[in-house]
Amino acid sequence: MASAGGAAPFWRAAGMTYITYTNICANLVRNCLKEPFKAEAMSREKVHFSLSKWVDGKPEKPTIRSEGSEH
Amino acid sequence: MAMAALRREGRRFATPLLSSPVRSSVISHSQEELPNGVRSISTQIVRNRMKSVKNIQKITKAMKMVAASKLRAVQTRTENSRGLWQPFTALLGDAPSVDVKKSVIVTISSDKGLCGGINSTSVKISRILHKLSSGPEKETKYVILGEKAKAQLIRDSKQDISLSITELQKNPLNYTQVSVLADDILKNVEFDALKIVFNNVPKLLLQWTFAPTCYAIMERESEAGGKLGELDSYEIEGAETKGEVLQNLAEFQFSCILFNGVLENACSEQGARMSAMDSSSRNAGDMLDRLTLTYNRTRQASITTELIEIISGASALEG
Repeated sequence: MASAGGAAPFWRAAGMTYITYTNICANLVRNCLKEPFKAEAMSREKVHFSLSKWVDGKPEKPTIRSEGSEH
Repeated sequence: MAMAALRREGRRFATPLLSSPVRSSVISHSQEELPNGVRSISTQIVRNRMKSVKNIQKITKAMKMVAASKLRAVQTRTENSRGLWQPFTALLGDAPSVDVKKSVIVTISSDKGLCGGINSTSVKISRILHKLSSGPEKETKYVILGEKAKAQLIRDSKQDISLSITELQKNPLNYTQVSVLADDILKNVEFDALKIVFNNVPKLLLQWTFAPTCYAIMERESEAGGKLGELDSYEIEGAETKGEVLQNLAEFQFSCILFNGVLENACSEQGARMSAMDSSSRNAGDMLDRLTLTYNRTRQASITTELIEIISGASALEG
């Protein structure tokens, strides 16, 4: 973290938001758990929703973000 | 209905004294579709209705139990999640009425119905907010979570919808999911201020008679104009500037508030469904009582009719 004062941290320069960054870190931490706890923690990671962007009052085809784990 | 039947029978009673008395009580409780002149008072219709109303009552009672158990599960998580955003509000302040060019209203609603009026209130509040923050050079867009709000907002605000998200509750709600969602919203939608509308849970959740509810609006201003205030009294490690820290915090705050909003909405949805199913079971019970009374009256009327015929037939025989 000893970058020049004012420079963005590496992840923001790469286009990630803070939320994405923390999610990846959390994912890594969850992967470090031992077995019985790991399964519980993995269940907290499931992502599923269906997103559709609207352009000019018309919905586009929805994309389903369904991931076992973030990224 | 029973009185009319009795009157009908009374009129017919006048004639069969002279006609053949043998055609007596084969009638009993059944069939519609009989030719004119044949006496019958049917209890079949009433019985069918009673059966279907009873089934509906069983279903609504079961739905109420299911909603109650789901409510218990979500409630503890909701209360715990309140601790996520309260420090933020204490630190960074909340700005409920900030005047910005581009504002985005995030409306949280449920995917399934039969939950009372909560989705309508959310949509109503969103529309009011939209009107409040519209004006020349100002733009307001909707981001819709949930099917029900989408259905209502499509009708008149099609042009203003920018994103719609459904199937959120397929897996149990967790922070990861909501944060991915928040991330998507942040990346796809331009805004200066975000307003989140959801149904809040009142404190009296312990009683069975849940009365839905109020709503809550939380607003989040973009980091550029955020209040720095008390952040000065904290020491910041690392070489990040305060601006960067604020930006991170602002994104995290949005994600936390959205998480709490989604949970609270789920809680109110289950509670509202519980109370809606409860009142519908009670209505079904009332309807069942009334139908039972009608059924009994009809049955007694038909018995009376039979008796009258027998007696009249017998007396006709004796001459």
